[in-house]
Amino acid sequence: MSEKWIYWLKELGTNDNNIVGKKCANLGELTQAGFNVPPGYALSVEAYKRFMTETEVTDRLLEYLKGFNADPDKVADTLKFDEASIEMRRLAESVAMPPDMEETIKQYYQELCNITGCVNLYVATRSAGPVSHPGQYETYLNVCGTDDVVRNVRRVWSSTCNARSIIARARLGLPLHYDPIGVAVLTMVDSKAAGVMFTVNPVNGDPSKVAIEGSFGFGEAVVSGNVTPDRYLIDKVTLEIEERVVSDKHMEFALNPKTKEMEYIDLPPEKRKIPCLEDREVIELTKIAKQTEAYFGSPQDLEYAISMSRPFPESIFLVQARPESVWGKKKKESVLGKKTGLELMLEKALTPTKVKI
Amino acid sequence: MAEAKKFPYAEEVVLPPEMAGWEEMYPPQRLFSKDREDWEKRHFWYQDKIHDPEALYPLDDIFNEAWQIALSQYTTRVFCIPPAQGVQQRMLGCYMYISAVEPPPPDVIGEKAALFGKRLPHVLQNYDMLWEKWIEKFMALGKEMQNLKVPEELPKYVPDEDIFPVTKGYTPANEMMAAFNTLVNQLFLGWQYHFEYLNLAYLAYLMFVDTVKKLFPSMKDSTVMGMVTGIDAAMFRPEQELCRLSRLAAGQRPVGDILKKDISADEKIKELKTTEAGRIWLDELERVKDPWFFVSCASGWFHHEGSWITKMDVPFSYMRGYVERLDKGETIERSLTTITEERERVVEEYKKLIQSDDDRKTFEDAYNNVRTIYQFTENHIFWVENWFHTIWFEKVRAFGRLLSMYDVLKKTDDIFLFNRFEVPMLLEDLATSWALGEGAPTRSKYWKGKAEKREKILDAASKWVPVPGLGEPPEEVVEPFTVMLWGITSDKVEEWLKGADLSGNEIKGFASSSGVVEGPARVIKLSKDIVNLKPGEILVCPSTNPSWAPVFTTIKAAVTDIGGLTCHASIVSREYGLPSVTGTGVATAMIKTGDIIKVDGTMGVVTILKRAET
Repeated sequence: MSEKWIYWLKELGTNDNNIVGKKCANLGELTQAGFNVPPGYALSVEAYKRFMTETEVTDRLLEYLKGFNADPDKVADTLKFDEASIEMRRLAESVAMPPDMEETIKQYYQELCNITGCVNLYVATRSAGPVSHPGQYETYLNVCGTDDVVRNVRRVWSSTCNARSIIARARLGLPLHYDPIGVAVLTMVDSKAAGVMFTVNPVNGDPSKVAIEGSFGFGEAVVSGNVTPDRYLIDKVTLEIEERVVSDKHMEFALNPKTKEMEYIDLPPEKRKIPCLEDREVIELTKIAKQTEAYFGSPQDLEYAISMSRPFPESIFLVQARPESVWGKKKKESVLGKKTGLELMLEKALTPTKVKI
Repeated sequence: MAEAKKFPYAEEVVLPPEMAGWEEMYPPQRLFSKDREDWEKRHFWYQDKIHDPEALYPLDDIFNEAWQIALSQYTTRVFCIPPAQGVQQRMLGCYMYISAVEPPPPDVIGEKAALFGKRLPHVLQNYDMLWEKWIEKFMALGKEMQNLKVPEELPKYVPDEDIFPVTKGYTPANEMMAAFNTLVNQLFLGWQYHFEYLNLAYLAYLMFVDTVKKLFPSMKDSTVMGMVTGIDAAMFRPEQELCRLSRLAAGQRPVGDILKKDISADEKIKELKTTEAGRIWLDELERVKDPWFFVSCASGWFHHEGSWITKMDVPFSYMRGYVERLDKGETIERSLTTITEERERVVEEYKKLIQSDDDRKTFEDAYNNVRTIYQFTENHIFWVENWFHTIWFEKVRAFGRLLSMYDVLKKTDDIFLFNRFEVPMLLEDLATSWALGEGAPTRSKYWKGKAEKREKILDAASKWVPVPGLGEPPEEVVEPFTVMLWGITSDKVEEWLKGADLSGNEIKGFASSSGVVEGPARVIKLSKDIVNLKPGEILVCPSTNPSWAPVFTTIKAAVTDIGGLTCHASIVSREYGLPSVTGTGVATAMIKTGDIIKVDGTMGVVTILKRAET
């Protein structure tokens, strides 16, 4: 029997980075730590490898690439990469999965439906690489039904052959046909609002604040920068909302009930300037942010979503946690130096209190 | 600096004609003048709305005369805070303007630094002992003032005991004149004590703000203040005594029932005397009255405000409320330990957020320092502005009674229409006429005429709106008090220059106690109207007074026109955990009683949500 290639999130932890990719390992860790994470499962890097080799997709891609010659730094060759990508993805997506894999993925989906008590559960299939490739590989939202899950898992795999990825690999001199990644199959949160939060004030690194951004609908609106989000700054100790900027949020990223596609939908004028979060949600998010930071022992950059169908506070889901990259990397150096209160007072008395007026 | 960014100079301010002659009410050294023009125009002056929002009765100006010296000399000559100098005052149109004196020359800063370096550590290291000495000498001074003998009358002939066995040599008339001088000296001394450690306490606070903001750049001033302020033990005591007396009364049916009656305090006392339980209760009241009922009904700065002991209706109305709440099974006492515990929790949690061990140590030491000395800013208020001022006003009235008894003035309180240099003239006039014998007139007509004219001037002044600032605002202020106490910031001056906009529905002020609530507003412009306040309302007033503490248990939030983060409303609101926005400048002008307003004490914004039906 071959290596285990599919896992429930709760079976995973940070140490499983190389097996299932960072995203899944992290969500697993959060699940184990007791945070409210959308339930889901992960297909490991091994699953990608099995699919690619057992279906002979790898061989067929290599065969195709024999005749391929293009320079990633030449603008004129971009088209060649585009063409190659289309052909490579078609190749990968036209092949059926090994039957046992397909069966297992479907079983896990069914089980997920049982857990959540939802017959036609919407899930997201997301790429999860052991090394981050932000925005490089693809994610498919609102996937529903066993066949659709299988199809979209395959699409995520094939997205390792999308044009920007093969150009990136070509630049680095890496093989073009192959980049093992994990796939996360996650319950979609029917989010009425979503966004990101930081466990420091991103503006000045103040470690006593949590900064929250949010907008209506799904988090993509905030992450992509397509909507100016509402912003909150909350004190971790007093849990006071100290700054609150309600922006004009002209649209939301949401499911179009007719097309069943995710798309940007314009918001009616009366909704645009309404805060997307309730104060109690802001406070609850702050508590979650503090707990996450304490759990990982470093400042965090988090994504959250708020379900419209679940009651508060179960409505709040943590969908991503990663180390904050700017202030988190700074060394914890002393800003005051070793001084006594008396020394500080003498210092203060010698420097005039200047207040601009 | 742009042309528009200037306020008129003192000489350019046009006063209403009814105020003509106002200058005579105040001593010449307190007025703007041609001979000091250069100096005066070099400084930026602003009206002291914190301490003197009202047109000033000449004798009430004595507190200012005293603090001008006190505040300034601790900075310049005693503890020698290197780059800072004093805060100077001038009267203009019956209102007081103040200005931070420009910094001293560099060599003086150097000299002061050496002295400061030597003197500051002594205070910080010995603060507990120094505070003990302070309270000892201050209470002794207050007792001395209480015991100061003011003759009740000028007898037709001095009594025999002044002759036998040895002639006394002086008369009640001499005693009367001497006693006033002594009283003035005592008042001045009390105010010097008032500032003894205040400058250092504010400096320590500013140091702590700097320290905290280096660690937590977006920390709010109100949060820092919340970490530093403690429980003002003395200022809480009057309220605690009211609660205790109310509980006693509620436990003794007849007493409690009498307290709940709709009659005056005097009538209640009369009725209480008729029962055994009532007499016991009154004894208990009598036992705590001095000092704990020596609480001003308002700020303590004006003779007309009165104190609990002179306006017993005020404490009795609070006790009535307490007894009613006790009957309903409510708790009336505040848990001081919860407040302290919350403060300690906040400090501990911030400490945990500090990333380096060195910083944590430095923070701790800075915090201990500021906590030690900052207590002074809280503990002196009861003793000086309330207890001591109450004694002062009562003593002054003893002279006022003499003057009206012998028809030098019409009424007792007319004495407050004369400044402290003039009162000795009136007393001398009275003493002289008494000495000269039967029929010798005083200049009664002259004094009464003056009093009448001054009353008209003050009346006109109270209707006049003084300009907020005089002269050219500087780029920056280097005097810690102007920032701490008066809340003078760029925004404030900018606002003054623009003139207040009364048309909107959003009012900005200091975020002085955090939290957000909504509710109906109760605008209280005169302190006597405080009795109209209903539970659940939001108090909107020019400024709050220490004696109002009991109302803070029933209101939802407080909004003031005047005051920064250290003003009374801010301190008490934080202690009670109520949102407050202070120093709005315009709240009482924009908000009407019954308006539904939202007070956001975290952001410092008040929003009028719904206007009251008119």
